[in-house]
Amino acid sequence: MSMDDKDPNTELANFLAHSLELESEAQQRYGELAESMASHRNQPVADFFRRMATEAEHHQQEVSELAAGMTLPSLKAWEFEWPEAEAPETSSYEALHYRMSLVEAMQLALANERAAEQYYRGFATATDDVPTIAAATRFADEERGHAAELERLIAALPEQGTHHREEDDEPHMPE
Amino acid sequence: MTEAIKLKAKDYKSEVKPIWCPGCGHFSVLNAITKAMAGLGIDKDNTVLVSGIGCSSRLPAYVDSYGFHGVHGRGLAIAQGLKVARPDLTVLALGGDGDGFSIGGNHFIHACRRNVNITYIAMDNEVYGMTKGQASPTTPMDWDHSKLTPHGPGVRPFKPAALALASGAPWIARGYSGNPNQIAKLIAQAVAHPGFSFLHVMSQCITFCPEQTDWKAIVTEREEPALTSADEAAKLFLHEDGFQTGLLYREQRASWPPERDRAADQNALAGLAASFRV
Repeated sequence: MSMDDKDPNTELANFLAHSLELESEAQQRYGELAESMASHRNQPVADFFRRMATEAEHHQQEVSELAAGMTLPSLKAWEFEWPEAEAPETSSYEALHYRMSLVEAMQLALANERAAEQYYRGFATATDDVPTIAAATRFADEERGHAAELERLIAALPEQGTHHREEDDEPHMPE
Repeated sequence: MTEAIKLKAKDYKSEVKPIWCPGCGHFSVLNAITKAMAGLGIDKDNTVLVSGIGCSSRLPAYVDSYGFHGVHGRGLAIAQGLKVARPDLTVLALGGDGDGFSIGGNHFIHACRRNVNITYIAMDNEVYGMTKGQASPTTPMDWDHSKLTPHGPGVRPFKPAALALASGAPWIARGYSGNPNQIAKLIAQAVAHPGFSFLHVMSQCITFCPEQTDWKAIVTEREEPALTSADEAAKLFLHEDGFQTGLLYREQRASWPPERDRAADQNALAGLAASFRV
């Protein structure tokens, strides 16, 4: 479904379908990262990603409640329209490393929240449909709130160095 | 009559959690496979994922369907045998660049030639990751990150798409792990193709090849429709940089085994089964 279709009967449904997918993807990716970091003994980052997964799940429930009673378009994963390759709040795999610090994980999440805010804000400005504007603005404001909270948490953390990506667990070599 | 429940991508994941390194591109392929299965509404009970050995070959354990974690480089042999014996099943073969192009190189070229109706997804990170980072058949010749090849492997890497084309593969596509939704779409197309489909996925190993985080900047999505001329495809595959993604080549060719043999095989199987009845 194209965002150029401005039929007010379908625009809110299209927006909510995208919002649900966005939050669902964020929740699943954060959950996946939490498990992955835990299995690599990076517990602080695992715990943080688990919290972010919970936050995304709450937001997903909120969108579901707003969409209750509506028939949302049934889109395949590749039919959603995102500004980038993946949904805006989804952590990009290549940004990750098992040695990443808590600050780096928070900065990654902050970038995700800002991307989500920008996406929702963009949706609000691209439509004339009043209910869609209201919902998109509300979601954008919530993402802005999450970003502000993350900024506060990052500022409160002691200075942490960035991890190095080079593997230093050397292979056993014959003498 | 109850309405069929539409499964979501997460419903196709098993309870087994991946132990890949955080940031590994194979997570993306796993997500793409489950998204494609959900998009196609594939029946879990009639789907089999077959793999060889290596990081990527762990994938069948993470999908809630039937799976076979096979012998190194032999995933394609098992997958083809299964499909010939049970043509009703959806069969996906999976593996990495070492498994598929080195240890299983012969199975790869003959699978392309034989054209059994399966989908082969090769997750190419240009390195043997499970054994801690040695050069593979697709490693750049100047890659000097391994102590085993301190000056780089010094040999030209395979071009998997060119190799597949020369061996007769009728359907060739490439994806990038930074774009799982595109991979999902390509998998859906590959499964729908009535023959051997080869999906080459550039799937980064950020642990042993951290420079692969730069792939995002060089990957492009090919706008043109899939080539149908083998001559044109050969020119493309021999001269491109290996980072063009999308459905690159497609031709219509009858899959193997021929229809007459299928009927004969089914009769033979039925006869065999009958001979076991008491």
